[in-house]
Amino acid sequence: MALLDIRNLNLSFTSYGRTQQALRDVSLTIEEGQRVALIGETGSGKSVTSKAVLNTLPGNARVDSGQILWRGEDLLKKTTGQREALKGIEMSVVMQDPLSSFNPVFTIGRHLDDVLYWADCRAGRPTGRKDRAGRIAEILRKVQLADPARVVAAYPAELSGGMRQRVLIALALMNRPALLISDEPGTALDVTTQDEILRLINKLVIDEGLTHLMITHNLGVVRATADDVYVMNKGEIVESGPLRRLFEAPKTAYARDLVDAIPPLYGPGVKDQKVSDGAPLVELKAVTKTFRRKRLLRPDEATQAVRGVDLNIARGEIFGLAGESGSGKTTLARMVMGIMQPSEGRVFIDGRPLSDTGGRADRRLAQIVYQNPGTSLNPKRTVGQTLDVPLRFAGLDPKDRQRRTDELLERVDLPRSFVARFPHELSGGQKQRVAIARALAADPRLIVLDEPTSALDVSVQKRVIALLEELRYELGLTYLFISHDLSLMRNFCSRISVMFKGEMVEQGRPSEVFANPAHPYTRALIAAIPVVTDAEEAMKPKVTPEEKQRFLVSSAA
Amino acid sequence: MALIEEQTEILSARRMAWLRFRANPVAVIGALMVISVIVMAIFAPVIARFPDHVGAVIDFRNKHHAPDATYWFGADKVGRDIFTRVIFGFRVSLLLVVGVLIVAVPVGGALGLVAGYFSGRIEALITGFTNVMLAIPPLVMALAVGNVLNPNLVTAMFAITLLWWTWHARLVYRVSKSVAAEDYIEAARLAGASHWHILTREILPNCISVISVKTTLDAAFIILFGATLSFLGLGVRPPTPDLGTMVADGRQFLPEMWWGVLFPGLAIFYATLGFNLLGDGLRDMFDVEV
Repeated sequence: MALLDIRNLNLSFTSYGRTQQALRDVSLTIEEGQRVALIGETGSGKSVTSKAVLNTLPGNARVDSGQILWRGEDLLKKTTGQREALKGIEMSVVMQDPLSSFNPVFTIGRHLDDVLYWADCRAGRPTGRKDRAGRIAEILRKVQLADPARVVAAYPAELSGGMRQRVLIALALMNRPALLISDEPGTALDVTTQDEILRLINKLVIDEGLTHLMITHNLGVVRATADDVYVMNKGEIVESGPLRRLFEAPKTAYARDLVDAIPPLYGPGVKDQKVSDGAPLVELKAVTKTFRRKRLLRPDEATQAVRGVDLNIARGEIFGLAGESGSGKTTLARMVMGIMQPSEGRVFIDGRPLSDTGGRADRRLAQIVYQNPGTSLNPKRTVGQTLDVPLRFAGLDPKDRQRRTDELLERVDLPRSFVARFPHELSGGQKQRVAIARALAADPRLIVLDEPTSALDVSVQKRVIALLEELRYELGLTYLFISHDLSLMRNFCSRISVMFKGEMVEQGRPSEVFANPAHPYTRALIAAIPVVTDAEEAMKPKVTPEEKQRFLVSSAA
Repeated sequence: MALIEEQTEILSARRMAWLRFRANPVAVIGALMVISVIVMAIFAPVIARFPDHVGAVIDFRNKHHAPDATYWFGADKVGRDIFTRVIFGFRVSLLLVVGVLIVAVPVGGALGLVAGYFSGRIEALITGFTNVMLAIPPLVMALAVGNVLNPNLVTAMFAITLLWWTWHARLVYRVSKSVAAEDYIEAARLAGASHWHILTREILPNCISVISVKTTLDAAFIILFGATLSFLGLGVRPPTPDLGTMVADGRQFLPEMWWGVLFPGLAIFYATLGFNLLGDGLRDMFDVEV
């Protein structure tokens, strides 16, 4: 008998009198001890499926038909009380966002203790505080948090993202559940931390003999943590099967597109961008940026975000700037844009020092595309109004502006009718296209792309990247591409550099950097990328644990 | 490769807001109450049973006439119909509301907008001045102004306006400050947009929802505040009908002639409640905090 057997589940949401079907005939079987992954893009219904199992659906959701069998019994026929009793004891979930899952005013210990206390009460055997403290320390050691006493006393904000994710895993494992559901664990973390978290989950699943359901959009993560895969699209399971079969020979077109959209890290599919031999457009000479915070009666607090960086970006190049959060890559980009002035060193644009032009780069020179499509467009202005701003302030008359707006929309492959749309009427990919069009409107030579696709699904990312390549070819643009996604950079950039704690530790052509990473940090970074095939996994550089210790901030501390 | 990405049906923002508003019975009731007050004020001469009782009419035969089919709300100490005077009283209250808000909202809004967008000295100056003004109790200010100047409708309006803008400055400042930090403001600046453009076209539209909710809730407070002032003898001069003055006048004849206080009081309550419910409804509809 299967542990969990979902049969033809249909589910719909009703809001303001409108009903939308979220799940269509979803069937999914998980045997005891099996590792299953549910993959799909935003809005495919994967999280809704897990919520239906856990009984945490929002109030406007309704199960129309189908069964959810748990050890052969239909959960949908059970009372709320009976289902509550399963939660946290028989099945547990690891949530995606490690910060918002905690109440900031309580210590980690209090969170863990509460969960344990109520679980014990429900099980009908109340326990003492001391007994619980012992069990908490034990479980924290199990998720490789080396100093349980410190973690227990800490408030959520005092822990790093990786540590919080570990505590969340500890919370989920507290009562040795039969089924562990992981909803995009580590997605909000840096690759190296994500890698550690995935290893931990894998180890725990195997050691404890858990059954695991992994929900994710990242196929690399799936390869590392599952044996069987279900692919969801628009509320339906489109394909399922063993991992290897599905990745190597997907039967449906949707699954094939999904697998193909992943930029390969190694192998024959990798694309090499032509190296530009143009004159340098941007030159950074020994640039340092120090942030100072004034403090009363004490010495100022200084943080060096960027330290002595030398950099040349040639005309027509796609220069990739890689690094994890806090490495100083965005600060560097802002100095190139002239939004921020370097504390030391000089920035030259087109051979002229930036400080000569009043500090700010000419708008005809550099424009930027932001990371978050949700905040890069004004929610109260239509696409047409947004695109009109750079044109109007460039002094174009209304008729030319109209013509140019149409032209720009056509350039980014959006229909003309979109001029009247507001941002909330657009999808994430469409918003990024509008942001690209706005950057193009000022007719710049350099566009800074600050993680332009990190908030998008892979298939959308693939199309946006294709658009950027096309635009660069047609308009002769130069890109400064900031990202933490190394596999994307391998294919998209003509030259890359890696930043680590404000310093540039590696620079070169992607093919060389990936074949022979010189700096141990680069090696560790590449090794942590989740890849899709075994062949790629084998080609990744090997990193010894000692090397890792030296360069990666361990989340286990 | 023209492509339109897959999407489900999307409601326009306006339609969504209307659906939210309609689904909230309390908000609809509030809106109906506010509309009824406005309609009564506009068509007062038509609705009122004794339109001439607005002025200095004396009819001692009917003084303190109890409520009946002719005098719905009874009559006051000189025999004037209280229903007529309540309806006309709405006019004065609404006039006060419009008079105060027409100045306070733009002034406060503009100051808040500017303070939130420009940081540094301008911000410190405006927020500092606003805080100082906020520290003055409104009633004390009104009493001072009323005693120095001649107490009448315009003076009351002036006194309230003098302090009322501060709340709008505070509110808009907060929204403006958070909007100014958004990526799209920086993008507009990089596109060469002027400060004027950014303030009026980029930031202001994002403040409209909070301003409109606050303005609606203000209307209720100002009606109440105006009634308080005239109750204390600092408002409208007789014989102009004013709800606060009517309550003050009727007070002397309590408890026997209860209608002289009850009906004007209920009228204040009705108008205030209507604006409050509407304001709450708008707040839910726009999903903002005030």
